[in-house]
Amino acid sequence: MICYQCGCSLSEHDFCTNCGADVALYKKIIYISNRFYNEGLERANVRDLTGAITSLRQSLKFNKNNVEARNLLGLVYFETGEVVAALSEWVISKNLRPKKNIADDYIDMIQTNQNRLDTINQTIKKYNQALTYCNQDSLDLAVIQLKKVLSLNPRFIRAHQLLALLYINNEEWEKAKRELTKCREIDTNNTATQRYLKEVDEMLLPEEGVKQTPRRKQKSDDVVKYQSGNETIIQPVNIRDGKGVTSLLNLGIGVIIGIAIAIFLILPARIQASRADIDEDLRKVGEQLDTKTATIDELQQQINELTKNNGDLQQDLEAYLGTDGKLRSVESLLKAADAYLTNPEEVTVVADYLEEIVQDENEDTGDNSESFESLYNTLLALVGPSVAQAYYDDGYEAYRQENYADAIPNLEKAFRYDATNGDALYNLANSYYRTGDEEKARTTYRQVIELFPGTEKASKSEGFLEEMGTED
Amino acid sequence: MINFEEELKKFHPSLEVEDAEEAIYNQDLTDMADLMVKIVKEAKKSEIQAGIEIE
Repeated sequence: MICYQCGCSLSEHDFCTNCGADVALYKKIIYISNRFYNEGLERANVRDLTGAITSLRQSLKFNKNNVEARNLLGLVYFETGEVVAALSEWVISKNLRPKKNIADDYIDMIQTNQNRLDTINQTIKKYNQALTYCNQDSLDLAVIQLKKVLSLNPRFIRAHQLLALLYINNEEWEKAKRELTKCREIDTNNTATQRYLKEVDEMLLPEEGVKQTPRRKQKSDDVVKYQSGNETIIQPVNIRDGKGVTSLLNLGIGVIIGIAIAIFLILPARIQASRADIDEDLRKVGEQLDTKTATIDELQQQINELTKNNGDLQQDLEAYLGTDGKLRSVESLLKAADAYLTNPEEVTVVADYLEEIVQDENEDTGDNSESFESLYNTLLALVGPSVAQAYYDDGYEAYRQENYADAIPNLEKAFRYDATNGDALYNLANSYYRTGDEEKARTTYRQVIELFPGTEKASKSEGFLEEMGTED
Repeated sequence: MINFEEELKKFHPSLEVEDAEEAIYNQDLTDMADLMVKIVKEAKKSEIQAGIEIE
């Protein structure tokens, strides 16, 4: 506490120790101010905001410099939705104590958020507009406007009260009570709220209140009241049945609307969704089909390759059979060698085995081993002349007897085993000629002329060739 | 019984944010302390004047 005259701090004495001014009364004023502040704080703590406002105003009337009281008053105003009044108190407080003042935070809280400030301003303007509507007797518009105000600022007590007043005027007691209850939750001891609430309670519970006007009494006779928890429900009697019918009618209409929505909105959507699912399934099946077709093609290719491989293997098998033929040749050669070693005189037996080798060699592609060729040639050299002679003898005998069918193979073998035997070749050519095989006869005569030139056989062969004439 | 018209008269338009500055300037901030100081000053002044008149 400072002296009002010199600004020095005051002591416990009733005078200023600096300037000597009498501060007894001044101290009492400050004490009273502080007492009102304490009272206001207590009331604010129990949400008696109206009482708090009264006490804090009193406090400020005694001491305008009581910054705590002013800040609290601003806070209480803000709580009741009176934002501009709150701002005014905080601004004054800030001017009185520029530093270490919580009012700074409060002001910043509102001013830094532009949207919040705009909302506050809109709320106030709408409230004023609603009040204008009330004065112009446009009460419905006022109700709408006040509902908007309360949606923006649900703690605006004056708006709640005005809306409750409008409901009371329209005899909408329940709605009025609801608004007043909200008011009471914010400010428990607001005089106007209490007065309106008392009126509303009297209307809702007429038997507990004072006398009713005839109009309202008549109205109350037509209603049925019953208690539901803390709420008293008032239901008109005369429209009770009609309400039931209306409910049923509304229910029916609701069902019809629901079915219509299901048919026109939900069903097409479901159908569309089902079609989409089917399309998706078809697409998947198509993909699977493509995959399987590709697999089938691949398998077909594998079959073709396998068939080709099978053909190759078959060829290999045939080649193998050919190899088997070679083996047979080897076996025949071994038999021929064995027969020759057992009995060298039996040249025909050896010749028969060698003949088998010749047949196999004709069927086979050739390529016998070196040892095979060597043994074969050795055997042929050993038995060849004897065999050739034997075949020639048989062939010539058959030729003389004009048995050309036997003569031809024997003479062929005779010449094969002894290439120097020109008689065998000449007689073979004659045999061909006489059997009518001029082609072979011509070839064989030419061989005679070529291999044995200057001989009688060659000149005779020329003669036969001339006799046969030129080739076709 | 509440009279709607009478009750309505008790509701006044709220100050808008734009009007806050003017409202602050116009606020009467005179308190009891100011009055006391003024009274004390006037009393002193009266005493001085009374002293002059006696002399």
